[in-house]
Amino acid sequence: MPETTAPATVTVTIDGIAVEVAPGTTLYDAAQQAGITIPVLCHSPKLQPVAVCRMCVVAVQGARVLQAACIRQAEDGMVVQTQSDAIQRSRAMLTELLMSDYPASAAASNGHASKTTGKPNLLLDLAAQQGMTAPRFPARPHDQGKDLSSAVIQVDHNACILCDRCIRACDDVQCNEVIGRAGKGVLARIAFDNDLPMGQSSCVSCGECMAACPTGALIDKPLTLPLLPAAPVKTIDSLCPYCGVGCSLTYTVDTQHNTILQVAGRESPVNHGRLCVKGRYGFDYAHHQERLLVPLIRKPAFYPKAVDGVENPREAFREASWNEALDLAARRFMAVKQQSGGQALAGFGSAKCSNEDNYLFQKLIRAVFGTNNVDHCTRLCHASSVAALMEQIGSGSVSNPFADVQETDVIFIIGSNTTHNHPVAATFMKQAAKSGTTLIIADPRRPEMADHADYYVRFNPGTDVALLNGMIHIIIREGLYDEQFIEERTEQFDQLREAVQHYTPRVVARLTGVSEQRLLDVARAYGRAERAMIFWGMGISQHTTGTDNARCLINLALLTGNIGRPGTGLHPLRGQNNVQGASDVGLIPMVYTGYQSVTEEGIREKFERAWGVTLDPKPGLTVVEIMSAVLDGDIKAMFMMGENPFLSDPNINKVKKCLAAMDFLVVQDIFLTETAAYADVILPGTSFPEKTGTYTNTDSRVQLARQAVEPPGQVRVDWHIIADLANRMGYPMRYRSEEEIWQEIVSLTPPFAGITYERLEHQGIPWPCPAPEHPGILTRFTDTFPRGKAKFSPAEFAPAKELPDEEYPLVLNTGRVLQHWHTGTMTRRARALDAIAPEALLEMTPEDMHELGVADGEFVRVVSRRGEVTVKALRSHKPARGSVFLPFHFKEAAANLLTIDALDPYGKIPEFKFCAVRVEKCQ
Amino acid sequence: MIIQELTTIQHEHGYLPAAELQALSRRLNVPLYRLHGVASFYPHFRLQPPPRVYVQVCNDIACFLRGAAGIHDIVQTSAEALGLTDVQIRPTSCLGQCDGAPAIAVNGQYYTDVNAQRITDLLHTAASDRTLRRQRLAPVAYTFQCNPYKGPPTYDTVRRLRQHGDVETVLNELKQSGLRGMGGAGFPTGTKWELVRNTPGDVKYVVCNADESEPGTFKDRIILLHMPELVLEGIALAARVVGATEAIIYLRHEYSRERDTLQKALRQAQVSGFFAGLSVEIFDSPGGYICGEETALLEALEDKRAEPRNKPPFPGAHGLFGKPTLINNVETFAMVPGIVLKGGTWWAAQGKNGASGLKFLAVSGHVRNPGVYEVPLGTTARELIDLAGGLRHGRPLKAFAPGGASSGFLPASMVDTPLDFRSLAAVGSMLGSGAVVAVAEGTCMLELALNVGRFFRNESCGKCVPCRVGSDKIVLLLERMMQGHGSVDDLALIEELSATMALTSICGLGQAAPNPILSVIKYFKDDITRYITR
Repeated sequence: MPETTAPATVTVTIDGIAVEVAPGTTLYDAAQQAGITIPVLCHSPKLQPVAVCRMCVVAVQGARVLQAACIRQAEDGMVVQTQSDAIQRSRAMLTELLMSDYPASAAASNGHASKTTGKPNLLLDLAAQQGMTAPRFPARPHDQGKDLSSAVIQVDHNACILCDRCIRACDDVQCNEVIGRAGKGVLARIAFDNDLPMGQSSCVSCGECMAACPTGALIDKPLTLPLLPAAPVKTIDSLCPYCGVGCSLTYTVDTQHNTILQVAGRESPVNHGRLCVKGRYGFDYAHHQERLLVPLIRKPAFYPKAVDGVENPREAFREASWNEALDLAARRFMAVKQQSGGQALAGFGSAKCSNEDNYLFQKLIRAVFGTNNVDHCTRLCHASSVAALMEQIGSGSVSNPFADVQETDVIFIIGSNTTHNHPVAATFMKQAAKSGTTLIIADPRRPEMADHADYYVRFNPGTDVALLNGMIHIIIREGLYDEQFIEERTEQFDQLREAVQHYTPRVVARLTGVSEQRLLDVARAYGRAERAMIFWGMGISQHTTGTDNARCLINLALLTGNIGRPGTGLHPLRGQNNVQGASDVGLIPMVYTGYQSVTEEGIREKFERAWGVTLDPKPGLTVVEIMSAVLDGDIKAMFMMGENPFLSDPNINKVKKCLAAMDFLVVQDIFLTETAAYADVILPGTSFPEKTGTYTNTDSRVQLARQAVEPPGQVRVDWHIIADLANRMGYPMRYRSEEEIWQEIVSLTPPFAGITYERLEHQGIPWPCPAPEHPGILTRFTDTFPRGKAKFSPAEFAPAKELPDEEYPLVLNTGRVLQHWHTGTMTRRARALDAIAPEALLEMTPEDMHELGVADGEFVRVVSRRGEVTVKALRSHKPARGSVFLPFHFKEAAANLLTIDALDPYGKIPEFKFCAVRVEKCQ
Repeated sequence: MIIQELTTIQHEHGYLPAAELQALSRRLNVPLYRLHGVASFYPHFRLQPPPRVYVQVCNDIACFLRGAAGIHDIVQTSAEALGLTDVQIRPTSCLGQCDGAPAIAVNGQYYTDVNAQRITDLLHTAASDRTLRRQRLAPVAYTFQCNPYKGPPTYDTVRRLRQHGDVETVLNELKQSGLRGMGGAGFPTGTKWELVRNTPGDVKYVVCNADESEPGTFKDRIILLHMPELVLEGIALAARVVGATEAIIYLRHEYSRERDTLQKALRQAQVSGFFAGLSVEIFDSPGGYICGEETALLEALEDKRAEPRNKPPFPGAHGLFGKPTLINNVETFAMVPGIVLKGGTWWAAQGKNGASGLKFLAVSGHVRNPGVYEVPLGTTARELIDLAGGLRHGRPLKAFAPGGASSGFLPASMVDTPLDFRSLAAVGSMLGSGAVVAVAEGTCMLELALNVGRFFRNESCGKCVPCRVGSDKIVLLLERMMQGHGSVDDLALIEELSATMALTSICGLGQAAPNPILSVIKYFKDDITRYITR
């Protein structure tokens, strides 16, 4: 089409004020620019306008009828009135019409509305502004009904004005596509799916609709205490404690009862006010009655520790004072150190704890215990990704923030159930797909994201390397690679070319089960893109070939020059809210803070000087290696802070033996976890909302969380406990605040140099941030890679360790569900989350179920070479035939009784995603 | 796609079972709520299994004036007498058979001029599982002045345009004729065609709005039945002029007979090659008066709920699937061949009383011979009513609606008003959908206003607040009034509400819904004060 010369701006006159705006600006926005506020109900700046409430009508000179300002675009020379008598009368009439059908009970709360729902009620506010008392119209005679079926949201259809905000919030913001209008005219209502009760619909309870509702038709159900107008309430800006996305939120707290009442999304560059079900409704675990409130010491009668634990773990412990518990811990750790050396000690920190907690923890292990045997669950998630990234690029972090999906052409997601595990990040990806970005999903188990994808690639489990090599083969063969980038910024391309030569589409199709055409399609889509991003999750990393899988992804990005620019890059989606930060501050056996190697003399000396001790020059053992060392008797005592390896590590039966075999175990946690049941001393730690500290999200953005409630009982802040233990072991740790710890981290870690608590006050800062004024770097590796040139590292396809056979004919895949978090310590004690997803369900195809003669919801026994569990079967189209899926959150049916503890040789990550099982019908 | 698929499912199962909707949602990768939203919006989709006998009784204005209020009880009594159990009797909006009032539909087939005997026969047939036959029509020989052909139609305008490509002549003749949109809005046709022609776009559409559904309106039905070729010729010519290769006829659901005629004519035209390079699709509307609103109609064609769009942009620039789209009414298209062949000046000269052109008007209500009459524009209401044989039983005229239910009512004293765009606008009414409803003395105008008010309330799509809530409040206030609980304040309130509905509703339905009661307040206040307790 010929280019038309559109004017750069248009000028409109609104209430006599001339405003110059960009073409396409709505009259509502233009009026705002002129300082004129127009009342709205259905309009919200975050949503596409629909102009259904008509409250924003204005008079446009020359128009026959009034125009909705929220949707009418400004045109050059337009003359607009926003406040004439006719307009005011119309607005008052519209308000009166709505108020005449508004439930009297809700209307009576006028003035209290926001205090009892936690959000403004725009309709009642408008009525109050207009001084409306009793509407003159007869009320609508029919009852539109209420819907109390959801665990978290109550729907009062009578209070609904059909503004469509919830519909747009669900469709356009969260892209869940559950809510719509049903029926017609005066009988129209909002409806979930095909007019199911909300609680039975496909609603994922993210609460975006509730947050968007302007009239109280959708409000939160109380999860702790009800919101009362008279309650003393404060709001605290903080973060979500769950996944690596790191959403900003605001707690509403009843200060009298020291109780969180509600959570609301908060504007930030990360989540733009959005939350998911865990973030919004999973907060009450902090107030759960099973919280540990006092230190506990194991009773003598419960020695030796039984491998299978005790029936009621609480009975095995007696209450103790902090002094007694800490003294005992210090004495025993010192004894082991003196007798067997620091190497006989180890510590697991936690990706759920703050940077400050974890920094002090690894400092305790390294400087006081005298060993590098410190690790955390990153080993169980992205260690293989990090191993590959370190090898090929020289940095283990993401190259671009996930927000870059808004400016990329192709999104390639592999091995990530993003809508469940990173729900808020997924909303941005779905939105991008909606607006035309090509979305490729590759996963043996069909994730919900595939509904939004241009290409869904279902490949045989464990054939990631073959699939990716196949794509690389096609891209090279068709000349879709970036020659200049390869020449200037990479090395060893020839090795890759050589290695993928025999991965022809025909060979790959046979290995992966993907059609040749589909392979060509996705390889071309990725290869031809000007900018493409790769996201991956545990589906890539939790394999014995995890590092190879990641290498292939890195090869793919390097091959096409898709790294080092906005809208490109590699993004391993981080699981825990602070798995990035925990690694950043040295909770890894090989490195100190900022990935400074323990084996490099200069670095070690820097830390020795700062900490005033001699440090072990030998890298420590990783999580699974530590467990094995315990069984071998090499490690005798451990300190675990906020980790629950019982459920999270592969082969639970082995973990149990190991926990029981330990001479001395101290567990610091908020609940008496399955792991804590094996402890000698249990120290009650603080939950997330009870402390202040920094957390680093998947984008490597450091963000500040603030204390919202006081710790219950005798609970003490985690870093205080660590410091006290260190002090008792003869190593002084004296800090006045979290901020002081952060300053120490910064002093030892150059990439954090510019990040201060003061700067984190309002929003996070991505690292590297080398200077006080620096905004932080979001797009990394623009000019060079940390290792100079990036390296191609070819990988060969190798089958999984335990392939299905006659006896164990099915492939078991494990993972998470939307409502639960890891071992369920928190989420299974969050009322709403456990109500929505109360039990483990084994996903199975209808065909496989039919073959076994199993009905939906029937109990089955899942058996592997290592153990067995009994669960209900769930008819599902997600797994492929011959595969089953079991979430690992549920101790009643712990998936890791079945999984294999075969390790990836580089990342030492266990193969959670593949083992052979058989499913038996329970008689 | 969605509406088609739903229609197929309903055809197979008799309704839309939830499991089928779920399967369709997976198959089309369309969220379930969208399917349900569409299925629950249109009256011809059923979400529950159908009863054995399903009777729809029309009680809208034309049927109401012919005693439809008693039909429900007659059906019920007949059903009981026949011992039928699985029977549902439901009110329905106007079936478009106002010349045969009162009308009902039994299991989807409509029947006109029904009485107790007829109803019993129909129920009997339906219950005995015999096929209900389509009602036979009495043969009528029409000659229409707008038809330029003596014998069978020969698509001369299309042929000529293909040979000479002289688009300007077509546009000039149209402009010369002064032809305006005959669906109600009255936008100059020549200008509209030129606008869409000049709007850049690689894909354009022509849409024929054959969804007349306003009570009293059935003129297009007669045109479709007797001159489908003229309509098709107008469409084909329009497509060629604006540069469209796809045309869609949006046909109201009840017009199945007309659909067959149209289909036949279309097949013949296609065989004869007049339509080379143009695909014409007949889209069966799933129902609802609002679908006649042109942007609601486009939404329906896009498989959505037929909720009118905010305008601007107008369909000429941003129509079906965002492409420039020419939408004209059946009658408008039918007028085009005559204008182009016989000249715009010829057509313009057909008018009288200062108006130009011809007009099809549907006359119903208390007249002796209800039907469609082709008259010069500018013909007075009196002349038209006389054409229709005057009022039945020699009753005097009390009022008439000059342009369908939404035009409101004028008193008998204004019966000499010429029925054309300008004259009616001058008295605060409109030519509207070309439906003249005559009302005899002895009719309560408040009751009539309530009757029409209910129609608009029932047919409001519910998208915008003023129409959805306002149309309901009018009904509630009038009901209260008729129960003797009204007050003078209510009249003021209705006027106040009406102003807001007219100013703020998204589309014409909400803007015009108050017209009937406003006209009754203006001209027939006695009929109201009688009910108001003082």
